[in-house]
Order: sequence, then C-alpha cells, then structure tokens
Amino acid sequence: MARSTRPPGWLGFTWLVLSKDLHIERKSGEIVTTSGFFALLVAVMASVAFSTGENRAAVAPGVIWISMAFASVLAISRSWHREREEGALTGLLVSPVPRGAIFTGKALGVTLFLFAVEGLVIPVAALLFALDLTRIGGGLLGIALAATPGVAASGTLFGAMTVRTQARDLVLASVLFPLLSPTLLAAVAATRELIVGAGLGELGDYFVLMAIFDLIFWAGGISLFGLLLEG
Amino acid sequence: MIRQVEVLRVSRIYGATPALRGISATFLPHTITLIEGPNGSGKSTLLGLLSTAIRPTTGQILWHPFGSSPELARPHIGWLSHESLVYPDLSGIENLTWSARLHGLTPEALDPLTDRLHLGSFARRPVRTMSRGQRQRIAIARALLSRPSLLLLDEPTTGLDREGITLLVRIIREEAERGAIVAIIAHDLELGTLLGATSLRLERGQQISPSISPHVEGS
Repeated sequence: MARSTRPPGWLGFTWLVLSKDLHIERKSGEIVTTSGFFALLVAVMASVAFSTGENRAAVAPGVIWISMAFASVLAISRSWHREREEGALTGLLVSPVPRGAIFTGKALGVTLFLFAVEGLVIPVAALLFALDLTRIGGGLLGIALAATPGVAASGTLFGAMTVRTQARDLVLASVLFPLLSPTLLAAVAATRELIVGAGLGELGDYFVLMAIFDLIFWAGGISLFGLLLEG
Repeated sequence: MIRQVEVLRVSRIYGATPALRGISATFLPHTITLIEGPNGSGKSTLLGLLSTAIRPTTGQILWHPFGSSPELARPHIGWLSHESLVYPDLSGIENLTWSARLHGLTPEALDPLTDRLHLGSFARRPVRTMSRGQRQRIAIARALLSRPSLLLLDEPTTGLDREGITLLVRIIREEAERGAIVAIIAHDLELGTLLGATSLRLERGQQISPSISPHVEGS
C-alpha cells in the first residue's frame, strides 16, 4: 500500500481528529442540535421565571452563561460518547496520533460546537431580555471568544477522564462545574458590566482572568491528556 | 517494522484482580500464534498489552527494534479488537480513509484492500447500519491497512460467514508469509490447525504452554 510523501505532523494529526469530529457532526448534527435546543429551553424558561422587565440587565448575563454551562456539559458528554461507541477511542489510542494532538483536535471541535450554540443562545437571549446587540454585540463576541476555549478545554480534559467510569455524566458535571466557575463567573461579570454600559477597555481584568484559565486548561490538556487516559 | 516482540515477566492487575501473572513469551516474524484458554484467562488482556492499548502493571514488553516505546511501535501494529474500533456514524470507507490518513497513506491506496476483503457496496453505508459480519470485515480491513508487522486478531471469525472465514484464513496466511508476526485469540481450535499456528495457552492469567513461537512451515 502506497504511503503519502509526507506523513502527518502534530498539526496534521490535530486537523485529522478535528475534521473527523466536524464531519460526523455535519452528518448527524447531533451535538449542536441537542445542546442548542437545551440551551434555548433553559434561556426561555429562565427568562419567564426570573425576568420582571426591570431586572433584565441583571438577569440576562446569568441566563446566557448558565444555559451555556449546561449545554457545554451536554456537548462534551456527546462528543466523548462518540469515542466510546465501538471502542473508537481505543482505536485512536493505538494509532500513531500523539496524545496531545488527540486532545487538541477534540477540544477545538468542542470549541466550535459551543460557538455554534452561543450563536443561537445570544441572539435569543437578546430578544428575550431586550438587549441592544448593535451596542453590545462586539463585546459579547469578545467575551464568548475568551470564555469558550477554556470551557471546551477543561471539559475535554475531564470528559476523557470519565470515559471509562460508570455514572460518567454525573462525574463529569460534578468535576466540571467547580472547575468552570472562575471562567463562567468572569464571563457573567463581564457580560453584566457590558450590558450596564461599560466599554471593552473597562473589562480588561475579566479578559485577563479568562485568558489565564484558557492557557492553564489548554496547556494542561495537551501535556496531561495521555496520562489521564492511560492512568 | 517490528522484528520481534518480547514479553518479559508481565503482569497486569485491575484493582485487586490479577488478569495476567508473570507472562513471558517471544513472538517472531513469519509466525502465527494462537492464544487460547477459557474465558477470563487473560487472553484479551495479553493482546491489549501487545497492542499498546494497556500498560503492564509489572514486567516489560519490547517491540524490537523500538524497545519498550509504545509510541514508536504503534505505526507498525494492526489490532482487531472484539470491538470494531470505528465510528458508527461514518461509513466503512470513510472510517478506512480516515485511518489510512492517520498512517500517512493515500486514500487511493485503499483500493487493493477493498478488493482483497471483498468489501462491496455495504462499505459505503454507515457502520451503524451494518450487520455484525460486515462490521467485522471493516474492522479487519482497518487492522490490515498499514501492512502491519505485528498483527493482533481477537476472535477474528466473529460474525463471519463460511466464505468470510475462508477468506480470513487465506489473508492471515498471506500476512504471515510476507513476514508479519501474527497473534490470534480464537475459541475455535480448528482455526489454529487450519493456520498451522503454535499455541500459547493461558489459564487464570498464567501461562501453561510454550513461550517461544516457532516459524510456520515454508517460511
């Protein structure tokens, strides 16, 4: 059997893992559809339950990021479920792909799926809470870009830990929510400040906090992923 | 390519349960080894260790000339597990093409393999919709696609019809003849006889029969 002239390097392997997840999602639409629907349901229910009209600006940030937190657990769980079926993850682990490239490809996939869900949730939340997206849209995009990679990386890392455990969804949620707290709190606080009129320049501290957690979870994931999977 | 595999006093313990205890064996090119034994004797654990999917609790496995490095050995190993190790949402061809790319192979290079394994139009369907035997053919193709020098087959006849088993026997012989080290788990001892395989028998995680595999006739 012929070999290609250039076997994949680390980035090539990462792209192969990512493109495989995107291809499966294009065919099934399962993760974005289920997570997106779930997040929208949480947003609508929370708006009906908590919004009085006067407190919209205070409630909206919590609704957006709580719905994203729940949706991210669902998305991460489904992403790893695909790897468990038919032992596909084991097949990947005995292939020549470096562990760090598997992590990066999976985490990038989850990041893109969560961006897609945010693309549904934020406009709906803006509609429900009468937020002016022409004023805060750019800022919200920045907050999403800063918060989501950390959520995806930590979820992918600890989702991998639970692949071989019983009651994995319970374990994932129990481990993940405390870990996501700093990122989510920073995102909620930054969104609140943005809604009440702060400029992007005033949100620097929140962006720094989110960037630090992004860095910790991506670096930790790339270096620890193999260790966590193999035990 | 892997020229020899040495298993040196390997044990594997799951929690408090020992699956393998002090196994030593040598696997050589041009050989077919039938790993046999009752359920729970540690056969699949031994194959998992050889495949790099599992690490030994104690002892060492050497994939010569790569030493004890699983990372260096992996590109040269083909493993058929009791699971198909493929993505059910993708078609058989999509799975094989993706696996080929992981090994640095061109997708066109799959053509001889699809002919060799008689992968018909069913291979273009999602694996989820395939019968057990069809999945097994895809899984066998996946194990073979990189022309591995260490071929590990866990109950390869599962789900195959008579024609499929005949084809599989021919393929395993061809792989051993080209120089691969072949290790098979099978409850059907007739398969071992058909292949002229040497036997490595395990019972309760311990080795009962010889630890060095002789070359098959004609090699």
